[in-house]
Amino acid sequence: MADLSALPGGKSPWQSAARFGLYTLLLIFAAYYILPLIVVLSTSLKDLDEIRNGTLLSLPSEINFDAWGYAWNEACIGVSCTGLKPYFWNSVAMTIPAVLISTLLGALTGYSLTKFKFKGANLIFAMILFGCFIPFQVVLLPMAQSLGYLRIANTVPGLVLVHIVYGLPFTVLFFRNYYVNIPDDLIKAATIDGAGFFMIFWRIMLPLSPPIIVVTIIWQFTQIWNDFLFGASFTTGGGQPVTVALNNLVNTTTGVKRYNVDMAAALITAAPTLVVYVLAGRYFVRGLTAGSVKG
Amino acid sequence: MMSLMTQKTIPAKQPLSDWFRRNVAKLVVAPTFGLIIFFVYGFIAWTGYVSFTKSKMLPTYSFEGFYQYIRLWKMTPWNVAMENLLVFGSLFILIAIVLGCLLAIALDQKVRAEGVLRTVYLYPMAISFIITGTAWKWILNPGLGIQSLMQSWGWESFAFDWLINSEMAVYTLVIAAVWQSSGFVMALFLAALRGVDSEIIKAAYLDGASLSRIYLVIILPTLRPVFLSCFFILTHMAVKSFDLVVALTGGGPGYSTIMPANFMYEMTFRRNQIGLGAASAMMMLATVMAIVIPYLYSELREKKNG
Amino acid sequence: MASLSIQNVKKSYGAIEVLKGIDLDLEDGEFLVLLGPSGCGKSTLLNMIAGLDTITDGEILIDQNVVNDVHPKDRDIAMVFQSYALYPNMSVARNIGFGLEMRKVTKEDREKRVDEAARMLQIDHLSDRKPAQLSGGQRQRVAMGRALVRDPEIFLFDEPLSNLDAKLRVEMRTEIKKLHQRLGTTMVYVTHDQIEAMTLASRIAILREGEVQQFASPQEVYEKPANMYVAGFVGSPPMNFVPAAVVSEGGKLGVSIERTANGNRSSVFLALPNDRQDIGDWVGRNVILGIRPETLTHRSDAEISLNKGLQAFDCQVEVLEPTGADTLTYIELGGREVIARVNPYNTTEPGETMAFMVDMGKASLFDPKTELRI
Ligand SMILES: Nc1ncnc2c1ncn2[C@@H]1O[C@H](COP(=O)(O)OP(=O)(O)OP(=O)(O)O)[C@@H](O)[C@H]1O
Ligand SMILES: [Mg+2]
Repeated sequence: MADLSALPGGKSPWQSAARFGLYTLLLIFAAYYILPLIVVLSTSLKDLDEIRNGTLLSLPSEINFDAWGYAWNEACIGVSCTGLKPYFWNSVAMTIPAVLISTLLGALTGYSLTKFKFKGANLIFAMILFGCFIPFQVVLLPMAQSLGYLRIANTVPGLVLVHIVYGLPFTVLFFRNYYVNIPDDLIKAATIDGAGFFMIFWRIMLPLSPPIIVVTIIWQFTQIWNDFLFGASFTTGGGQPVTVALNNLVNTTTGVKRYNVDMAAALITAAPTLVVYVLAGRYFVRGLTAGSVKG
Repeated sequence: MMSLMTQKTIPAKQPLSDWFRRNVAKLVVAPTFGLIIFFVYGFIAWTGYVSFTKSKMLPTYSFEGFYQYIRLWKMTPWNVAMENLLVFGSLFILIAIVLGCLLAIALDQKVRAEGVLRTVYLYPMAISFIITGTAWKWILNPGLGIQSLMQSWGWESFAFDWLINSEMAVYTLVIAAVWQSSGFVMALFLAALRGVDSEIIKAAYLDGASLSRIYLVIILPTLRPVFLSCFFILTHMAVKSFDLVVALTGGGPGYSTIMPANFMYEMTFRRNQIGLGAASAMMMLATVMAIVIPYLYSELREKKNG
Repeated sequence: MASLSIQNVKKSYGAIEVLKGIDLDLEDGEFLVLLGPSGCGKSTLLNMIAGLDTITDGEILIDQNVVNDVHPKDRDIAMVFQSYALYPNMSVARNIGFGLEMRKVTKEDREKRVDEAARMLQIDHLSDRKPAQLSGGQRQRVAMGRALVRDPEIFLFDEPLSNLDAKLRVEMRTEIKKLHQRLGTTMVYVTHDQIEAMTLASRIAILREGEVQQFASPQEVYEKPANMYVAGFVGSPPMNFVPAAVVSEGGKLGVSIERTANGNRSSVFLALPNDRQDIGDWVGRNVILGIRPETLTHRSDAEISLNKGLQAFDCQVEVLEPTGADTLTYIELGGREVIARVNPYNTTEPGETMAFMVDMGKASLFDPKTELRI
């Protein structure tokens, strides 16, 4: 909004008190959001004795990555003690193709539905959009059966298929809403210039799309990486994605409860999305609210 | 001036490539649309059908009317789950919206280090509910968490055992869910605030309106669409919430914190009550639709009217 | 270069009929301006010529070939859009050359032609810039360059100047005119600015609600408007419409106009020139007299003696609006406000009576019911 405090009459003792209150509020909530991360991080760096004798907020006396190594290589998930490593790679192998394919299909579909409108295009969009709103519970059962039929139950390709299908409504929504704001005249001009459907997509639409591609990829990446429901429903044992494995690790009750390992495992699981967010989060928010492209 | 292309003829029609050119957009949309038709509409129909059968471990297809629905609503866990959804949902939505809106307004006052603060508020959004649940389970754990922290600081009588208290455990879900989602709400509000026409604000300032009045009377009403969007997104999250419960409370103590999604999962995959699971899934769909359809309807009408 | 023929072309969006049977024929090298108010279907017609919109009914022929089913890229046309539609991600040179690139013109050739077009439009120093880094006028030139470089059979312009400021608009107008004179290519130009239409066109088609009102040379449209709509649309300030009755006085055909001067009702008789004897059967009936402001001016006996068409009368002046070269003088005739164009040195004060003359040889008469020219 406009910077009113810079206008004449904007500076008064009241104003200073209000500013102080404002910063206090902002900092209290910053603590609410950041402290859990600090607690988890510091716990993951302590050894078990320090955890039992210290408190939540006490910092580790020395930085100790043992728990991280243990969580990655050795921790027991159910009965197999392989650490998170294989599950982490499951997640990677599931997430990357699912994100790329659903984004590409979303872009092509959004482009067709806005720039090459045919009869019924709006109805088709509405029908695809509906997929954003369903609670996935209504598709769990038939999906489990279908994956069995297709012989891809409990496999990475099976999960890739699931995530592509149920990510599509969102990617189509993002791209359609973005492409609607690109002037139709650009497509007309390119058509007269002799470019066809795919040429226009490749040479004109895609070069204009980075903001929405970033939004879509971040969205899909976090959704798919963070998914638990599909992973828990369609996989068992070695085929599980890392979120499911993390939950099993935390709830595996054989032996001593190693809180530091739990926390390290949680951080390992969170690391990829956190990194993506820290690197590109600002483009995400900007892109979510970005308007049109000017020609 | 340019004589390089003097010979110009209009080429003859080529039926096949013409047909392709005319239909390429439909051909491109077809796979996506086909997937959605099969995996969304087809599957919902299938689940709907199974919910009217007595399927147990394997689906059977003889129609039994509302048998499963009647059974469902007679079960205490399902009723508890729906109650929990109501309590959790309304608190979570209300707090997340109020907090998100407040933080957005606070951040919109030209504060220092806005970028850092925004990042801090927003990062939980990037994290899985499983991780959120795991982290908060540790923090709220009475033995080693906040309770013992406060006691070690000298507040001996401090008790914070919500996590293991079946009356209060559902509120721990609210705390964790708000932590995870309110930053996102804040981001939506902040973006909308940045879009408010600053001329209007200057005009109101010239008219002598105070800052709080400007917000209450002028700015917040223009943010109505954002309130609606947030309400809708959060409702959707609440109905779908499954993983947070699994990771934070495991549905316990007892089944005091289960949600419909957990009930459905339990019936379908653990207890081999497919028909009952399907019926509960259909009830969840109905709940979401009861909120989504009016929302979409009002959105579309607004678009048409202006 | 090519001729263009539009035969009974119709366009409907669902139940809404946007174009209701358009017939236009253009010779090779003509400059057609489609003139009309917003929403009358100009862009729709232009898009159909370009092949960017389907034709509901009728035929469009380029060089005697029906092109209804020919893809835009094969019609050998180029188009300049109102929004310019420059590709934001490409440099100026890339933008101009894109059409050639799609047509697989070799790189060498392409660069040569892009260069030539850019130099012609004086934008050769901007080749490496992106559209966002250009001013409105420069963007406009790039859009023109993109069309020019293709050396098409027909140029299509959709309100290409409407996003420019007044001064640039006049400048670019002249340049487009020069371009047409130099290239001699057939051009179709859409605008709602009647001055643009008058200056550029070899023929104007005036559209209203999907129908052609008149299709003629600018001069004819101006002097002999086919109906009151055209008469009112073309010319600024617009033609004055005065209710009148055709009468025969002393053997001379003329019109009689009612008016009130100083509270008294009286009538003015204005004789029509002898070549308007064709309206003999209108005697005694009401008509609308159309007078262009510049044919109504202060009385000059010297001129009256030279031109038989000039008719004199006196009238009270109501308002004066000096524009510099002329002073627009408002008077009341037949109950309507009428504008006269008067030399600033011959005006009187408002409220006083002044002597006027009107060139009845240039006046138009319209049927009050059908609004058509008589
Ligand atoms: N896709 C469409 N569906 C329905 N009606 C349309 C469509 N496109 C145009 N129209 C209607 O057709 C009419 C003519 O539109 P057109 O764009 O040709 O007007 P125009 O003469 O170019 O106006 P302007 O000077 O404002 O550009 C308008 O009334 C418009 O509402
Ligand atoms: Mg137009």
